[in-house]
Parts: sequence; structure tokens; C-alpha cells
Amino acid sequence: MVNRALYRKLGRDVRQRKWALAALAIIIGVGVSCYVGMAAVYRDLDGSRERYYRDYRLADFSVDLKRAPASAVDAAAEMPNVRSVRGRVSLEVSIDLGNTPEPISGRAISMPRERRPVLNDVLLRSGTWFSGRDESEVIINDAFARANGLVPGSRIKVLMLDKQHDLLVVGTAMSPEFVYLMSSSGGLAPDPKMFGVLYLTEDFLQKSSDLDGAYNQLIGTAYDGSRPALEDTLKFIEGKLDEYGVANTTPAEDQPSVRFLSEELVGLEATARILPVVFLVVAALVLNVLTTRMVAQQRTVIGLLRAIGYGAGDIIRHYLAYGALVGIAGAVIGIAAGTWMQIAMGIMYRQFFALPKIEAHFYPGVLLTGLAVSLVFAVSGTARGAWLAVRLEPAEAMRAPAPEAGHRVLAERAGFLWRALPFRWKMITGARFRNRFRSSVSVFSGLVSTALVFAALNNYGALGYIIDYEFERTARQDFTVSLRDAVGEGGVREVADLPGVTAVEPQLEVVSDLSNGPFTKRVAVTGMASGNRLHTPLNAAGKPIVVAEEGLVLTRKLADILSVREGARLELRPLVGRRLRVEAPVVSVVDTYLGLSAYADITYLSRLVGEEWASNEILGRSAGGSARGSFFAALKEMPKMLGVSQRSRSLKLINDTMEGSLGTFIFIMVLFSGIIAVGSMLNTALVSLSEREREVGSLRVLGYTPQQVLQLFAGEGFVLNAIGIAVGLVAGVGLAKLLSMAYYTELYRFPMVVYKWQFAVSAALMIVFFGVAQYIIYRMILALKWLDVLKSKE
Amino acid sequence: MGEVDVPALRNASIDIYRGEFLIIVGPSGSGKSTLLNLLGGMDRPTSGTIRFGDEVISQASDYRLTLFRRREIGFVFQFFNLIPTLTALENVQVAVEIVDDAMDPTEALGLVGLADRADHFPSQLSGGEQQRVAVARALAGRPTVVLCDEPTGALDVEMGKQVLGMLSDLSRNLKQTVVLITHNSVIAGLGDRVAHIKDGAIVSVDVNERPRSVDEIAW
Repeated sequence: MVNRALYRKLGRDVRQRKWALAALAIIIGVGVSCYVGMAAVYRDLDGSRERYYRDYRLADFSVDLKRAPASAVDAAAEMPNVRSVRGRVSLEVSIDLGNTPEPISGRAISMPRERRPVLNDVLLRSGTWFSGRDESEVIINDAFARANGLVPGSRIKVLMLDKQHDLLVVGTAMSPEFVYLMSSSGGLAPDPKMFGVLYLTEDFLQKSSDLDGAYNQLIGTAYDGSRPALEDTLKFIEGKLDEYGVANTTPAEDQPSVRFLSEELVGLEATARILPVVFLVVAALVLNVLTTRMVAQQRTVIGLLRAIGYGAGDIIRHYLAYGALVGIAGAVIGIAAGTWMQIAMGIMYRQFFALPKIEAHFYPGVLLTGLAVSLVFAVSGTARGAWLAVRLEPAEAMRAPAPEAGHRVLAERAGFLWRALPFRWKMITGARFRNRFRSSVSVFSGLVSTALVFAALNNYGALGYIIDYEFERTARQDFTVSLRDAVGEGGVREVADLPGVTAVEPQLEVVSDLSNGPFTKRVAVTGMASGNRLHTPLNAAGKPIVVAEEGLVLTRKLADILSVREGARLELRPLVGRRLRVEAPVVSVVDTYLGLSAYADITYLSRLVGEEWASNEILGRSAGGSARGSFFAALKEMPKMLGVSQRSRSLKLINDTMEGSLGTFIFIMVLFSGIIAVGSMLNTALVSLSEREREVGSLRVLGYTPQQVLQLFAGEGFVLNAIGIAVGLVAGVGLAKLLSMAYYTELYRFPMVVYKWQFAVSAALMIVFFGVAQYIIYRMILALKWLDVLKSKE
Repeated sequence: MGEVDVPALRNASIDIYRGEFLIIVGPSGSGKSTLLNLLGGMDRPTSGTIRFGDEVISQASDYRLTLFRRREIGFVFQFFNLIPTLTALENVQVAVEIVDDAMDPTEALGLVGLADRADHFPSQLSGGEQQRVAVARALAGRPTVVLCDEPTGALDVEMGKQVLGMLSDLSRNLKQTVVLITHNSVIAGLGDRVAHIKDGAIVSVDVNERPRSVDEIAW
């Protein structure tokens, strides 16, 4: 039933409370925008990923081998569950662009000379396919090209095995295989300047890597791509192709790029579900306070409406309409801001993920869900008020409400404590604790915003902790040289003798299958020299991990996966050398933050792979300065050198990433928390101001200045918010704990670290929000026509 | 809908003497509340001058007016305007808090005969008692002038008389300046002087040779 009079009342009531309702609409808007922005960018990314993987035929698995002839590829293609297989050459190379002293790491991958659709295909971004005129043509990774200013026509020097080639860039391309470009030597952030992917013609790369007519990698697709089916298939292939020296088998989802992207999407989807609810719940609660108050103010009006024949339904609809209005306003704000967020996040993601088209699309479903969720929360926020309104008996409602009865509050029963309280605080506590629901809402929203700020800061703190742990406390080397093949002590000395090198420390990395009965995991075991000083892995307690002469040290996550404890025995099968199964004891289990590490003594590990003593990774310190250039120049001449990584560069890269995206994230979270905090403080204060206009008037008449009146009001809010902040900080610690449990993955584990500054900064920010809200309230106290209030009947 | 300026007061000149009980009588709409607001520093006139001793308050800033109210004026309203969540004593204390040489709140309650109800909340007091608490609150800051705006308007006759008796006693015994406005001309007999206000102008000021006592009046 359309009732114009009621609509007009609605309109005027809304206008009267426009600031309170606007603040609520904004809180809802923030919630809706989080949902709309994240859900939409999720769909943008997911759609783009899916199309990319499909159109450019991302392989379901890859198998690394020593050398497989074409016949082995054909054989693999006939194996059960295998749909198609492509053999290719994949080789770690070193690139010299002449513009950096240090060699650049790269991966060369073979492609057919003639352009045809293949698995793990590439999307040409500029230039052309191989012309066939010159065999030394190369197509390079697009991000790498842009980072180094390379264009078709540029020439690059590439060291493959022990021979340097001068290659002509004919095109730039991107591939679904390298959406998140991580060098094989690790690091936490992509470094397109220092790692490149090169596509070369198959015959040229085969020749350059001593693999004439053969391949060292099979990539394939499966009919059943589910994890268990894929693992069975890979096990089968591994067994059948054993004679070709299978070094590693990888399902696509374990491939670093695929994994990073999918974990990001999983996280994004979870956040898109959880975060908005926080905002919407706060808004619904505050709306509850507001409408309950409005109904109390309008009880005689409600009585009158009922008396002249309006039904319960009319009254309910009328009050729910406030919620609907706020919900619609919130949805409009949220959809607008969310669309902006979708675009901004898309731009941010483009920096990290090389997807061909991350375009913001329009998703009616997402927008409708945003609207629906907004309406549901907003309308449910007015439900209590509507219910109270309809429960009023007309006759009773038309009488003025019984005057507010003062009674002792709990605190007053605490005797001497109460008497010791200064009078102002008595007024403050007395007034507040008398309205429990509203007080709880104030405390709750203070809690929520404090916890959000705290959690955001905790992300920063925890990541900072991991970075410090990984790049400062654990690692002290200036550089790490990776070698193509293991060397003996002579090889180590070779690096030690390079110009400017002041210290070296050998390590041995062996990719191995660790298994305990049915539990198995493929990891890189790190063999460390005794007396290691440059790389000293620490346990969570900050103590250096000591490896025994025999046995393995496992990180807890790995021990969990393998279901072993200290003292258990594991089966270790290295994927290099003779690949013999050996038994190894687990001597200790430690907590670390990155990856699935396993440590052993270098001599012990060497023996396990059938060597007397071997090292394939040399950490070192260098004098720096002028020696740097000659050090890298000499390094480039070392044929065994695969690549070199510098700790300072990795550190700078990760710090830049932190400051950029994490800084933005924290800013946005702080902004959102501020909106919750200010919006709800403002609302509860406005409601109690409206209830206590007469009190404000009395105080003003008595000669209280507006500031003094504010102090009393602010004092009340302060008490509640102080409780909210305190509880919020505790909740924040809980949330940090929860995050450390949630992010307990194979890739990384969030440390449960909480810094004192996080408490201080969170509390300080909350005080700032409080100040903003109080300023607005102050303006309202100034604007209050208190004299009229005093002269009106209660 | 535009608003039209209607002057509530014009040609309203009056002197108020220290220690007197002045009653301003006028029908509703005559401008008496506006006059009281001006006297009490709650409002400013568009023209004209209000002097308090040597001080001109008619053009004072909001802050000066606030201090003026705090130090020099005590207010009693028709609707008592007590804070419902504070006890009688605490309601008085609200005024005491911001004045330097204020009375002890208990003393102020004693003056209005409510020392024994100090711990009661407004809802536990009768209307008359509530108004007496309001008077105690007005007195507690030792104001120069107590301004009462229809203080009996919300009370029945008996309670109204109680409050009026108390106000006139205060004026007589403590030489407290009290200005009371009312539409009820019966009350006028209580004052030392009576000012009549009509259509925004003070039309006459009579001196009561023999102010009556509260027991002599009835309405």
C-alpha cells in the first residue's frame, strides 16, 4: 500500500538524521565495496587465468629427465591417462646484457621452428616468430624485455653449458607457464630484471645443450587432471621412463607460478567473503541502536497511527523502510567504490601477474549480490526497532513514556571505589552503563576497528619478521653462486679465489623424495658445512640449527606432512646420482618460516648421493667496491656457474614490494577501520545526544561551555572505546594467532610475533578516530538549540 | 515556507535591584520568556543594551555569556530539567563542579529542605521536590540572580506554593535577588516589585508596599 503521508514522514525523518544515516550507509558501502571489488577482481583474474591456461595450453604435468629420445616421448603419450605429451629442452642459462656487472639468470626453452600450437605455448607480444634464416634467433619473455629495455632487434649474450652465444631477439612473448615469474634460485618476489625466459628453436637448443635429437623435459596433459590421478600417472611415467634418468615430476599445481596465482586467488576469495561481513555486522548493530531510539522518540506518533487504523504491517514496513533506504544507499556507494577498487586491484595485480588481459568486467551477479547482502543486513538492523514499534499498544503508546528512572549502577555497589571516583567520572560511567545494548555496540565496534588495524599492522610486522629472519639473521652472505654440477673442494676454492671474495661456504642442495611409509614429499635437502657462519638457519626460538654428523633436521611442517617425529627414520631417495634409497634418522624438528626445509651435514648428504664430498652452491662474502666488477666479470667466465643471486638485491626487491602493495593494503585497512570507528562513534553519540538534549541544555544553562559538555560526552565514549580498544588489542593478538595458524602452508608460515609498536600504533590510530568523531559531535553540541529543549515539555 | 521575524520584545526597559524579589507578570506570548533569556545571558538582543553592574552583556561573546551564566545566574525552569540518571545531590553537584566558591551540595539541598532526600533519583521524588532540587542547583553556585521561568507551571497548587514560599524566603532571609516570571497574576502579590509585560513591552512596574506571604494567596 502506497501511503504518501508515511513516505513523507520517512523522508523527513531521514533528513533529520541524515548524518547518522549517511555514516551508516558509508560503513555498509565499505563492506559492499570490499565484496564487489574483491569478488569482481577475483572473477577478472580467474577468468583471465582460465582462458590463458586453456588458450595457450598449459600442461598438466612436467617430467624432468636427463635425456629422453623422441621415442620416449611417443611412449609416454601412450601411457594411461595421458592425453598428449610434448618433449622439450629446458635449460638453465646465464645471460649477459652488458648493462649489469652481475650475470643474469635465465631459462632457455625449446619451441618448434615453425609456429604451431603446442603445450605451454607462448603469446607473442611484439616482433615475430623465428624466421628460420638464422638459427640463433630468440624470443624473450616480455617482462624481462621491458625491465631491460630489450626490443626485437636487440642482441643478447647467453651462456649455455660452457659456450657463449650471441643471440638476436626477434620477438617478445609471455606464457601461462610464467605468470608469476620466479627464478629457480628462489627469492620471494619476481625480479624480471634479473631473470629471463628465452625461447629458442628446438634444434638449436638441442645442439647447444648436448641433447641432439633428445629432450630433457616432457610436458603433457591428462584425461583426468585430478590430483590423485595425476600423481598415479606421474608415478607410472617415472617408473616406465626410469632408464632416461627421471629427475623430477611436477603436477601443474605444484609449479611455482601456478601455485602462487592460485593461492592468491584462494586468499582473495576468502577475504571477499569474510571482510565485508565485519562491516555489515557493525552497521546492522549501529542501525539497531538508531532505530530503537527513533521508535522510542516516536512512540506517541506510532500510537496515533495505530489508533487511527494503521495495521501492524504498515508500521513494520514503515520502519523497515529506513533500513532499506540505508541499504540501497550503502549498496550504491559500495558498488561505485567497489568498481573503482576492482579496477585499482586489477592494475596492482598486473604488476605481479603476467596475464594477457586483466580487464575489469561487469558482473551483474556480483553487483546484485552486493545489493542483496547490503539490504539484508541493513533491513535486519532495523528489525528490532520495527518489532518494538509494532509491539506498542496504541493506548499505552499515546501516553508519554514513564520518565527515565535512575537507579544504582553496578559500579556504585562497589562502595568505596565508587566514592573515590571524581564526580565527572561518576556522571560518565553512570550514564553509559545504564544503556547496556548501546554500550555493548560501542565497545564492539571499537573492538572490531582496533582488531582490524592491529591485524593489518600485524601482517606488516610478521612479514617484516620473516624478511629479517630470512635475509638478515639467517643469511649473511653477499652472494650465492649456483653451480650446474656438483664440485669438490677444488671447485669451492675456485670461487674463493675470485677477486674480492673474502669468505666462502659450500652447500649442497639435493632434491630428494623423503618418505615414511605412505607419506612422501619431494623437497630440496640442504647440506651444510660444519662451522657454517654465512648461512645459519635458525629455529623459531632464534637459535642456530645444528646438524648432526648423521641424520636430518626437518622443519615442523615437513615433519607433519611426513608424519614423523624426532628419532624416527625416513627413507631418502635423491633424484640425482645413483638415486639409491637410503635410510636416514630425523635428529630434530625445528620451526622455520619459509618453504619445506630439510638440513643435513654436507659430508653426510654427499655420501647419501654417492659422493665423497660435493657442493653445488657456494655462498660467499665479497669486499664490494671496485672489486665487484672484476668479481662478476670473472664469475661470468666460470662455465660451471648457473647463476648468482645477491642478498642485498633480494632484500631490496622484497622491501620495495612490501612498501608498495602492503603499504597500500595497510592504508586501506586503516581507512576502513577509521570509517567503522568514526561512523559508529558518531551514531551512538548522536543517539545519546538526542536522548539527552535536555541534559545538555541544563548543563549549558548552568554555565558549562560546549567544550565542557563535550568532555562529559566524550568521557563516556572514551570509557567505552577504551574498553573496546583494550579488548580489540587482545582480539588482535588472537587474530594474529589465527593468521599464523591459517597461513601455515608449505610455501610459508606466518610467525606469531606481536610487537609493542603494534599496540601503540593501533591505540594511537583509534584515538585519532575518536578525536575526529568528537570534533563532529562538538559541532553538533554547538548547533543544538538547547534553550528550546529546556522550555519544552518532556 | 519562509520565516517571518516577529520582534518578541520592544521598549522593554527595567532595572533590577540587588536583593529584591521581582515578579514579571504577563500573558503567554507577551515576551516574558524572551526577556528572561536576555537577562540570563542565554540570548542576545538585536538592539538595546543589557547591563549587569558595570558590564554590558548584550553584545558579549558566547564564551563570556557562558561564564556569566556560570558565575552570576541561577536558573529554575518550568520543567525541572534534572538529569534523571543522577541523584538529587549529584544534580546539585553538577552545578558546583564548575564554580570556584560554590556551596557544598549538601548545604544547598539543606536550604530547600531536602537534605534527607539527597540520595534519591528524580524519579523517586515528587514534582515539588524535583523543583526544589532544581532551586538548590540554581543556588549552589552562589549566583547574583536567580531567574525562575514559570517555576510552578508544572506543579499542583500545594507543591507550587511550597516552591514559591521557599523562593520568597530565600529572597527575604538571604537577600538573594530572585526574578520570577509567570502568567499567573495571583503570584504577583508575593514580590517586592511587580513588572507587567504586554505585547513585548513593559507597561508598568509597581512596588508592593506589603508583599504578601504565600499562605495568603490561592489559585
